[in-house]
Amino acid sequence: MKSWNKTGKILPAVATLVYLFMWAPVFILVLFSFSNNKFGIKWEGFTLKWYAELFNNVAVRNALKMSLTVAIITVVVATIAGTLTAYGLYKYKFRGKRALRTTILLPIVMPYVVTGAALLAFFTRIVHVPLGYPSILIAHISFSVPLAVFVVLGRMARIDWTLEEASADLGADRLTTWRKITVPLLLPAIIASAALIFPWSFDDFTITYFVAGVGSTTLPIYVFSQLRYGATPVINTIGTIFVTLPIIGLLLVSLLQKKEVT
Amino acid sequence: MENIPCVELRNVVKRFPSVTAVDHVSLKVEQGKVFSLLGPSGCGKTTALRLVAGLETLDEGDILIDGKVINDVPAHKRECNTVFQTLALFPHMTAEQNVAYGLERRKVPKNEIKRRVGEMFELIQLGGMEKRRPSQLSGGQRQRIALARSLVLKPKILLLDEPLASLDRKLRKEMQVELKELQREVGITFLYVTHDQKVALSISDIIAVMVEGRLEQVGLAKEIYETPRTKFIADFMGATNIFSGKVVAKTNGELQLQTEKGLKVIAAETKDSSKKITGISIHPELIEILPKNTGLKGDNNFKGKIVEMIYQGDFIETKVCLDQTSELVTVHLSSRQDREAQFSPGEEVLVHWSPESSNILLG
Repeated sequence: MKSWNKTGKILPAVATLVYLFMWAPVFILVLFSFSNNKFGIKWEGFTLKWYAELFNNVAVRNALKMSLTVAIITVVVATIAGTLTAYGLYKYKFRGKRALRTTILLPIVMPYVVTGAALLAFFTRIVHVPLGYPSILIAHISFSVPLAVFVVLGRMARIDWTLEEASADLGADRLTTWRKITVPLLLPAIIASAALIFPWSFDDFTITYFVAGVGSTTLPIYVFSQLRYGATPVINTIGTIFVTLPIIGLLLVSLLQKKEVT
Repeated sequence: MENIPCVELRNVVKRFPSVTAVDHVSLKVEQGKVFSLLGPSGCGKTTALRLVAGLETLDEGDILIDGKVINDVPAHKRECNTVFQTLALFPHMTAEQNVAYGLERRKVPKNEIKRRVGEMFELIQLGGMEKRRPSQLSGGQRQRIALARSLVLKPKILLLDEPLASLDRKLRKEMQVELKELQREVGITFLYVTHDQKVALSISDIIAVMVEGRLEQVGLAKEIYETPRTKFIADFMGATNIFSGKVVAKTNGELQLQTEKGLKVIAAETKDSSKKITGISIHPELIEILPKNTGLKGDNNFKGKIVEMIYQGDFIETKVCLDQTSELVTVHLSSRQDREAQFSPGEEVLVHWSPESSNILLG
């Protein structure tokens, strides 16, 4: 019983510490984004002026616009391409399928520095893609497709494929079967991969930094460049937005799931 | 014009990389009949069904529906529908949407779809369940929705791939009866695939026994059960007493066979008596057990000793070891007989069956 009691105290203590360690910096960042202190490191009363400054800052607005544009296009293209790829990999037999299946998932574990450097060399020396929107989009899509493939393949293994046969049997052609049966069955995985890819693309710093070129700035790159002038309260506000948006997203998703269950 | 079979297979062959699943199968399914493909798992019966449905492409031969070759017609344009073993109800649609699916694909007008789906729900007695998802229905209800989804399209033939396999025993029996009634009511032709001889016997007009891709015997349900032609079918249909042997004498309407161990068995002569006979089989319920001191009555009387009695509820599976050859004979002793005679293991008895009960085997 004694040892039980001991664990009973130590475990919660460790858990609390870990939790604090994880959340304290984030909490302080959010807190100081509302602080009047102009270095953003001390509490000097509540203010929203940094948010006002943020939204009046053209550079930030442009960076945000670029990040959102890139993320949205990446989500749409990568999810569609990834779903089709996964379907092909799962349903059809062809030579080199195993090799393709392995290599297509490889970019997920590739170090970003390697991917970034390789893409930059590729874009500037071999195919001459202009750096900026085109290079950033290609880079983001290329590291996002494997994610979609991975998520959708996982779902495919749990689907009863006689459903497609039943659809054909009842008179549906291939396209109708895909539209009416296959896509609805894959929808949870498609949504999940989109939800995964969006923050992945929106947050990406390393690869984007390599291929962005001069003058194109996504939000993470902007934040990084501003840090050279020290942490400003505006950075804190950006951080706050970065933290809040995914949490809202998560809450929405779990709300939707709850609704579907009942 | 008379007697065009609903479905006909002519020398159909389907090869998979490791096995020939369907090996030169020819059969005719007549209009309005229940035709069963019966066989152990892996015998190719499901592949044969899928060939008719168009879900597999055939390597040789022809498949005809209503006298027209349909080899190259894709699955979604064939006038046959399938009830799958897994039922394959669309989980993201309601029962009603499942049933309407095929009609929508055929571009049937909305109000007619509504009417026909409604009629179908009445036929399968599931009125009120229209808005439920498959996951909210019981096994038997799902079964009926799967049937309705196919029947609503009024196919020329309904293909059923062990649709009752997933149900428990009692429900399976109920659905068997329901299925047969529904078939009569709608007057539709069934091609039914199963490995369960009991289901096949109770539901079929014609049974074709399939073994390793070939049809071994095709006949009325009664014929398949009472006069199986080969050892395999005899065994599969539950005729556990199988003796290999050859004919040693023929006398006025009777054949005398000698089994490998030397037992002399009498069988009545049939139209197959002139062919090469390789043995005989006897269903266990056709054998009688008599007390030792009973006077011999005619042919096929053997002395033996009861070695085992296993209670099965409606009968007692009794094994008797014959004195003469030490061969085991299995008898299904009815509970009534047992009550009268009070047999017990170890008892010396007499077993007897009539020459007509000896079924001649040709392979």
